[in-house]
Amino acid sequence: MTEFTLPIAPRRRARPLAMRSVYLIAPAALFLLFFFVLPLADNAMRSFVDEATGAFTLARYAALLTDPFYLRIMGETVLLSAGVTVISLIIGYPVAYFLVRKAGRWSALVIFLLIAPLLTSIIMRTFGWQVLFARKGLVNNLLVNQLGLLEQPLRLTNSVEITIAALVHVLVPLMVLSITSVLQGIDRRLEESAQILGANRLRTFWEVTLPLSLDGIGTGAILVFMIANGSFVTLVLLGGGLQTLPLMIYQQFNTTRDFGMASAMSMILLVIAIACLWLQLRIVRRRGA
Amino acid sequence: MRRNQSSLPDVALLAFVVLFFVFMLAPILVVVVVSFTSAGFVAFPIPGWSTKWFARIFEYRPFIDALIVSIEVAIGATLLSCLLGVPACLYLARSRAKWANAVMTFLLSPLSMPMIVIGFASLFFLSAIGIGVSFTALLIAHTVVCLPYVLRTVAGVYAGLPRSYEEAAAILGASPLAVFWHVTLPLIRPGIMAGSLFSFLTSFDNLPISYFFGSADTNTLPVVMLSYLEHQFDPSVAALSTLQLLLAVIALIVVDRIYGIDRMTVSS
Repeated sequence: MTEFTLPIAPRRRARPLAMRSVYLIAPAALFLLFFFVLPLADNAMRSFVDEATGAFTLARYAALLTDPFYLRIMGETVLLSAGVTVISLIIGYPVAYFLVRKAGRWSALVIFLLIAPLLTSIIMRTFGWQVLFARKGLVNNLLVNQLGLLEQPLRLTNSVEITIAALVHVLVPLMVLSITSVLQGIDRRLEESAQILGANRLRTFWEVTLPLSLDGIGTGAILVFMIANGSFVTLVLLGGGLQTLPLMIYQQFNTTRDFGMASAMSMILLVIAIACLWLQLRIVRRRGA
Repeated sequence: MRRNQSSLPDVALLAFVVLFFVFMLAPILVVVVVSFTSAGFVAFPIPGWSTKWFARIFEYRPFIDALIVSIEVAIGATLLSCLLGVPACLYLARSRAKWANAVMTFLLSPLSMPMIVIGFASLFFLSAIGIGVSFTALLIAHTVVCLPYVLRTVAGVYAGLPRSYEEAAAILGASPLAVFWHVTLPLIRPGIMAGSLFSFLTSFDNLPISYFFGSADTNTLPVVMLSYLEHQFDPSVAALSTLQLLLAVIALIVVDRIYGIDRMTVSS
């Protein structure tokens, strides 16, 4: 309270107001320590303890890291996320470029169209893909009835391609928004200088714009990879025969009920997520410097 | 300054962006159309128009029960997130200390963790401490992932405010609580409103966490919709999704009015 009785306004602004006590952080920090960190620590413990004997064991991790069955699952998880990330980048970059450089007075509409799908439920979008590719869906209707290319409707819903398309559909707006925020900060004079010095548009893009937007690409890629890695609703409903870690956790919980194994798999997902978060922080810090 | 000549690359880019939005909107629009079908099955194009599937939602008891649970959890988790989050922002948004930055990173970290892991781990932990599968457990688990949204938007708004308003009030003799109530709170209200909306929508659409706390009394709407879809494939889920979309679009317009859509694209 003493700060308020000072007759002279402090010159240095480092002095905090009394309202701004450190204890204000306590409720949020304690809540997350108790209900976020402790559950994850508990989960880590469970992954190291044998359920039958209660003894310490590394058997689950040994299985995850050596058994070809589990190695394939982890490979598919990472490969699927990486694939979705690369496709999102290739599709998303031109859209971000258009939004920043070409959209002009249409940019509000473009942003609305980008964000509106983000607010629809994951169930709705997955259902939408099912409707498009179902036996009596739009695509089969076109192929069989309208164009007459096929006699029988195709079984399309259970395919890897549609699962990937559905994941890209969910995640590509995040990529576009990440790249947009960096492109907006690029000094256009740099590009103009390159063109004045004789570079054509392609070379200007390749040697000036693209390198300057690498931070946005990095941020977007990590974000998309991170979320793709933990997604399972799309995989549960669209299938495609892919076996990923989140899907295995879901199945272990539902049917196999091997909770220790599910805990170990969660820990692997968690380690990947922490690695992504660490990379993300490094990019943010470099940008700040 | 804008050159109006449209060169070939520009036209190609425009065509690409149009295709992109066809890709983005097609799966959503077909669901909206199917929700108005008169058929008893999912087919596109639809044979005729009707609103019977919207009526069906209200006849199917589990949908309505789950909708009520979802709304209760979303409101509860949002209120709890504001109560926990706003005080923390008051300190963290103004501190330049390194450790304060680290604390903020920690408080935002639930956003970066796979939700399925948070859900799975929370179920076992909350059961072990006797909360188990209950509404309270659902509320706690949802708050873990809603809190970061409130923190991020409120801290963003508060960090952008000049200190002079609060200092002026304090120098003129207002008590810290009065400064907060009459000066700070009205200034950060847009951030609280926007953060609350994000938090509400995050909770309302959450499936990976809610899934683990499913029981007759605690099933949320997405959980019921998922199990419905796993067994049936009829247009009632489309009707339900269309209603949700309507809600989301209204929310987006509200956020735009009080917070500004363009501010969401600026990385925080």
